[in-house]
Amino acid sequence: MDKKDTFFNATDVRWMAGDVEHGDIVMSTRIRLARNLKDYRFPRAFSEDEAFKLDQTISNVLLDAETLDQHFTHIDIATTPILQKKVLVEKHLISPQLAHKDRSASVVISDDESVSVMINEEDHLRIQCIEPGLDLEKAYFNADTLDRYLEEYVPYAFDEEFGYLTSCPTNTGTGMRASVMMHLPALTMTDQMEQIISMMPRLGMVVRGIYGEGTEAVGNYYQISNQVTLGKSEEEILTDLQSLAEQIVQRETESRKALLDHAETIMNDRVNRSLGTLHYARILTSDEAANCLSNVRLGIDLGLIENIPTKVLNKCMLVIQPGFLQQYVGTTLKPNERDVYRATLLREILNNVRQREKGDDSYDV
Amino acid sequence: MICENCKQRPATITLTQVKNGQQITKHYCEICSQQLHQHDHSQNEHVPLQQLFADWFGIPTWSANAPKSQQQEEHLICPNCGMTYKQFLHDGKFNCPTCYDAFRDELPQVMKRLHNGATRHVGKMPGAVNATYKLKQEIEGLRNDMKKAVEEERFEDAATLRDQARKLEKELHGGDLNG
Repeated sequence: MDKKDTFFNATDVRWMAGDVEHGDIVMSTRIRLARNLKDYRFPRAFSEDEAFKLDQTISNVLLDAETLDQHFTHIDIATTPILQKKVLVEKHLISPQLAHKDRSASVVISDDESVSVMINEEDHLRIQCIEPGLDLEKAYFNADTLDRYLEEYVPYAFDEEFGYLTSCPTNTGTGMRASVMMHLPALTMTDQMEQIISMMPRLGMVVRGIYGEGTEAVGNYYQISNQVTLGKSEEEILTDLQSLAEQIVQRETESRKALLDHAETIMNDRVNRSLGTLHYARILTSDEAANCLSNVRLGIDLGLIENIPTKVLNKCMLVIQPGFLQQYVGTTLKPNERDVYRATLLREILNNVRQREKGDDSYDV
Repeated sequence: MICENCKQRPATITLTQVKNGQQITKHYCEICSQQLHQHDHSQNEHVPLQQLFADWFGIPTWSANAPKSQQQEEHLICPNCGMTYKQFLHDGKFNCPTCYDAFRDELPQVMKRLHNGATRHVGKMPGAVNATYKLKQEIEGLRNDMKKAVEEERFEDAATLRDQARKLEKELHGGDLNG
């Protein structure tokens, strides 16, 4: 299979591996660095010619990188079919904004999908590194390494007063957005999220839904990231986010324990009811599917549901999204058709697990 | 199928919306459908985000102590891309790196609002910039020491410090030319 095809098809996403620090609550860690080149206007104002030159220059530097451990593949956005772009968005390899670009925009992705560099999105360069679990240090190390490499070859727009210059003043300074994606069903159920969200701005942090700007939290997934990029060093931002994330993990863990102590039957009913829905429903919207999967994940974490590997659950989470679903079916679907296929696909995946489990049982006997 | 909103009552109403040219179908129960419909109306009265951004940036907090007229600020223009300060306030985004230079004096009050009061970058710098920055700081340190030496009438020391500073200045200059 061509390397490009695996970006569009493989559901084995590395950043979703659950067996890492706080892996049951923190799904993934992401670092994004916004960078621009001197002497070029920002993408919102540049010419076709500038766009083309930028794309060429930057992608050549990355593709020719010999001193980096990573090998990269270049994907041109304008010539990529819509469905495949959706899959890239759903895998968090590109932003929805980049997917909508129709001229000289591209993404350069490392073979293991842990590093992606968007070219000509809102800024000339958006370096993005994803790691599973809570691992700000490693994600930043990777982003910093690539950044240091790039600055040798392309002159960055930098100012002693304002730092790295970006198209939007909300990114000026470090140009860094560090974020952790957390699964917080217990804090959501016990109505503690609102309080947590409201204290964020004072800490220079912000909470968003799973797909970044402008989306609601679906399936109890929240993305917590730094809002402030000026006046704080990268280290300070990372340390603050790390301790904030750890505090939230602790509160989520305590709430889970409290729910189990005080309402085990209710929890047991809730998570198994969701599992039942996934097993038997014939129509499932993405919201309902995401919420059921969230409950099942919680059930697994609490030991109320057994025999469903996290890997299978992660696969389910990916394939319920419109792009993946259609890529899987191999054709474009209307929203109501999607709901039917989504239910069918989830049934199939879960029944496979069940059968395998039964098979193992009979083998044991 | 259950209602997507309350997730309790059975869904009896199908709501079809067209958003960004894409059809979205939602299933609600009667009660939630009514509530959500009202909600939709109130949301439509939102102030456009860009307007909000402009208002927010544009508030002349400096009017109390700054004699500079607002007109003057509005006439600031980036020599590289032609963006005006007024346009920047409207868009909330810069058009090119030179815009920062053109609007430099006005930017601290914009940054303050966005970054919890901060107006200056601290943290990572590109390697080359970092080296120049360190050199500049070293020169400034030497100059301060030199002044002190003069005040204390240690003229020999002052002369040595002056020579050291000059040497670094040459280095800084040469580095700039090469870079």
